[in-house]
Amino acid sequence: MRKIVDLFTSLKLTIVCLAAAMALIFAGTLAQVHLGIHEAQQRYFQSWLVWWPAESRGFRIPIFPGGHLIGAVLLVNLIAAHAKRFRWTWRKLGIQLTHAGLIIMLAGGLFTDLFAIESHMRLERGDTKNYSEDQRHTELAVIDTTDNDLDQITAIPESVLKRNRTIDHWSLPFRIVVRNFYQNSRLRMFAEAGTNARPIANQGPGAMIAVEPIPRTTAADERDVPAAAIEILPKDSGGSLGTWLVSDALGAPQGFSYGGRTWKVVMRTARYYKPYSVTLQKFTHERYAGTDIPKNFASKVTLIDPERSVNRDVLIYMNHPLRYRGETFYQAGFQQDDRATILQVVHNPSFLAPYVACVIVAAGLLVQFGFHLVGFARQKRSTTK
Amino acid sequence: MPHRWSAEIIQMKLRVVFLSLVVISLAACNNKSEIKVYRVSKAPLEEIGPEQQGAMPANAPSPSMPGGMAPVASATSVPVPPNWQPQPLSQMRQASFLVKGVNGAVADISFVGLGASAGNVLENVNRWLSQIGQPPIEEQKLNQIAQHLTTSIGDVAVVDLAGLPIGADSAKDGRIIAAMTTNGSSTLFFKIRGNAALTESQKSDFIKWVAAVCNSQSGNKSAQMAEAMPPENSTNPQIKWQTPAGWSQVPPSAMRYASFSAGANNDKVDISIATFPGEGGSDTDNVNRWRQQIGLPPMSPAAVATQVAPLKTSDGNFSSVDIAGANARTVAAWTRRAGHVWFFKATGPNAAIEKEKPNFVKFVESVRF
Repeated sequence: MRKIVDLFTSLKLTIVCLAAAMALIFAGTLAQVHLGIHEAQQRYFQSWLVWWPAESRGFRIPIFPGGHLIGAVLLVNLIAAHAKRFRWTWRKLGIQLTHAGLIIMLAGGLFTDLFAIESHMRLERGDTKNYSEDQRHTELAVIDTTDNDLDQITAIPESVLKRNRTIDHWSLPFRIVVRNFYQNSRLRMFAEAGTNARPIANQGPGAMIAVEPIPRTTAADERDVPAAAIEILPKDSGGSLGTWLVSDALGAPQGFSYGGRTWKVVMRTARYYKPYSVTLQKFTHERYAGTDIPKNFASKVTLIDPERSVNRDVLIYMNHPLRYRGETFYQAGFQQDDRATILQVVHNPSFLAPYVACVIVAAGLLVQFGFHLVGFARQKRSTTK
Repeated sequence: MPHRWSAEIIQMKLRVVFLSLVVISLAACNNKSEIKVYRVSKAPLEEIGPEQQGAMPANAPSPSMPGGMAPVASATSVPVPPNWQPQPLSQMRQASFLVKGVNGAVADISFVGLGASAGNVLENVNRWLSQIGQPPIEEQKLNQIAQHLTTSIGDVAVVDLAGLPIGADSAKDGRIIAAMTTNGSSTLFFKIRGNAALTESQKSDFIKWVAAVCNSQSGNKSAQMAEAMPPENSTNPQIKWQTPAGWSQVPPSAMRYASFSAGANNDKVDISIATFPGEGGSDTDNVNRWRQQIGLPPMSPAAVATQVAPLKTSDGNFSSVDIAGANARTVAAWTRRAGHVWFFKATGPNAAIEKEKPNFVKFVESVRF
């Protein structure tokens, strides 16, 4: 036990973690060339371990600690070392505060990575939405549309489709078997795809479409088009309802009936529903005279929250976001012809951590250097006497 | 110099370390890869915008239908029956309607325009058959069941398919009537799918609508729905009959040679004459289709054979059948001659058919080819 405590409190561990972090950053930076920035971030920095091979449903081995593991060990190391060497004296107040600030900053970074959700809301003038979309992730939405007033949605993330061959969920009276999954794909009609093309689905428009797997995109402003062939198998009887091709390139949901209920399946960008709605009233895009350089762009929206009896207009513009119910709406962009505004929606429970950490670190450094300055001044005065 | 640890200090410091580990372990619970279930209110917030994917470009050349939508004129300008409820359009659908019947019966009607390479008729018919749990068919069988409609943009193939997929709700599924046509640059698909009896009741309107939309594609706006007639009419052999008393002739729909109506309100009987070149499908297929239309399960060929009775008239030999469901009944007679099949059919409530059956038999007996 003592060895464990010594290990977690040792400065050597700190050095090893910092060295590992440098190696990870180097490898992650090189990997961006082939993977693109978002995929490299996920594999190297937003993971506990770096796996090889990266994409496989079968055997994989960890080859290096990921960003989360290195950060977590560093955090434990910092807390443990701090606890071991903690001695309460006024002279060490500055050091204690500085370390506390660093701990909050590290913990805040980890929590942000784990719990922050960034999404977008695209609104044309007059549009109302009660959800934002994550353009980097897709989901398979299985929608029970039987009820006249409400749809029940079972949202299956892309990562689950990729990982699981069979999806058996309590909310569905059938199992979903993922026959094929393509991280990035191009869809073509059969006649265009050539004579060797074979359908991977037998229901809906997918039966006429050939799916061609293509390499994942690495451009920062592009995204993959995942596609999958899913077979629907009733839980309480044998047989199959058929196989559907799902891809957000197909657009419209595809329907079927089972168990006396009507269902729709659609692959779409991941959605985050909200208990309130946002309506775009007006989008303003001002340019400097004679140029196309943006001077200001702003969105006037109406926020309606029936639960809290809120119905008010809000102007969102650069550096003036809307903060509501733990989410922050930033003016992030606009469609080229100014037809639509794009708001970035950020939900980050630990967004205050960096601010608090910076204030505490600054206070700690002030106290620490203040003590030194006062001590130095006293020493100089006594020497002069 | 080695540091001396007292038991209390070690315990206290271990607590701090383990607390840190617990916090990090909790933090490791990443909820981004969980299956979520939630309920949301239906439209209008759920409507799919015309360009949903505008926030960030996809690398696909077109995130909508591969190959690109064929440029087609607006189908929404074509009049539709009042009971067809317009539905929100999607990237695939250029017209979408829902028809509601009794006891929760519904039928979904759609019009989709695709590029020229959207498959041939057989491929699409087999796709529709698989959707209703039926085995694929061969070209020869397709020729027997496909009917044709002439419009200003060309020949439109129409198929009427029955079948209920495993576990499907018969109130919402059981029959597909589909039409498709291809010209040089586009393929148009029309489909009605839903409850078998409800789909049957909408068949006439559906065919008229298909003809009207096709005619509107070529700019022939003057083509009225009621004028859409089957091409066979002009070349069909002419027949004569005597209309029984109490029957009134009504304008025929696109697929019919002639239509009659008897009774009124809840006792209304629909009588039709239809003819098609060729054999017009096997007796088993036809009888089972009629059974499906009134909510009865299909029967084996042997069982169908026991139901079919000969009907001899002065001008030929007919086959006939009398099928009674829970609420509706169909009497039908058919004959094949000179490369054509002729169907005579009356459908309506049980009591009304019972009353009109003698008239129907006299009507068939009066037919002169």
